[in-house]
Amino acid sequence: MADENAPVQAPPSAPAAPSGPSGPGGPRPQGRPGGPAKRGKRSFVRKKKVCRFCVDKADFIDYKKAEILAPFIQERGKILPRRMTGTCARHQRWLTVAIKRAQNIALLPFAAEL
Amino acid sequence: MEERQYDLIFICRPDTPEADVDKVIATLEHAAAEKGGKIEAVNKWGRRRMAYRVQKLREGYYVYLVLKSSHGEVVKELERRLKVSDAVMKYLTVRVDEELKRQDKLKRHRERRAARRPRKAAMATPAPSPGSGEQAAAQA
Repeated sequence: MADENAPVQAPPSAPAAPSGPSGPGGPRPQGRPGGPAKRGKRSFVRKKKVCRFCVDKADFIDYKKAEILAPFIQERGKILPRRMTGTCARHQRWLTVAIKRAQNIALLPFAAEL
Repeated sequence: MEERQYDLIFICRPDTPEADVDKVIATLEHAAAEKGGKIEAVNKWGRRRMAYRVQKLREGYYVYLVLKSSHGEVVKELERRLKVSDAVMKYLTVRVDEELKRQDKLKRHRERRAARRPRKAAMATPAPSPGSGEQAAAQA
């Protein structure tokens, strides 16, 4: 895919060329080993993350089920951002409420204990 | 005022005898009835590990109740009783009727859509595409 695009975009190269090496070529931290981080001409092919709750067609997120909320918090207890988990805006909104409720009743930690 | 539904969870100390837990539940039921509410369901989750320490304890005896009432006085009274009860370490009341309503609405909405979709899919099938069903439906 990247190979197909490259010749098309290359000819008017003057402005495009500088962006090529600097953009994806740099030591950009890859968020997760989710996708096959294939290094094309100038773009990573990243696996598209989809909202897990949309896949399950969830109409609500139950704060009582700590085990389904657990993947969405960091080890230290922080709520993971959408960009990490791929959750859609609506479900992230519900999720944060559910996590906060679960924290209040000691189903989930506020912060990791030491 | 319309009826509201609440989730009521409380955590007893893990060394509380079962009889005492039942006693707490009974007093709550009684108090709710007195104030015009009703405890619809009682679900004892039993002893489980808490995510953090509460009163220096790592475990607690969880009890989950579903409460229905039409005014907030009931919740106030129940929370007061939970607060004064020695066995109870922690409690949480969550109003859930609005969420349930929303959930219902979404469900109905999806069912309506699902009922409508087959016709579209049938129209799309004569020209089968390797793409997903949704794409076919969008083209139709």
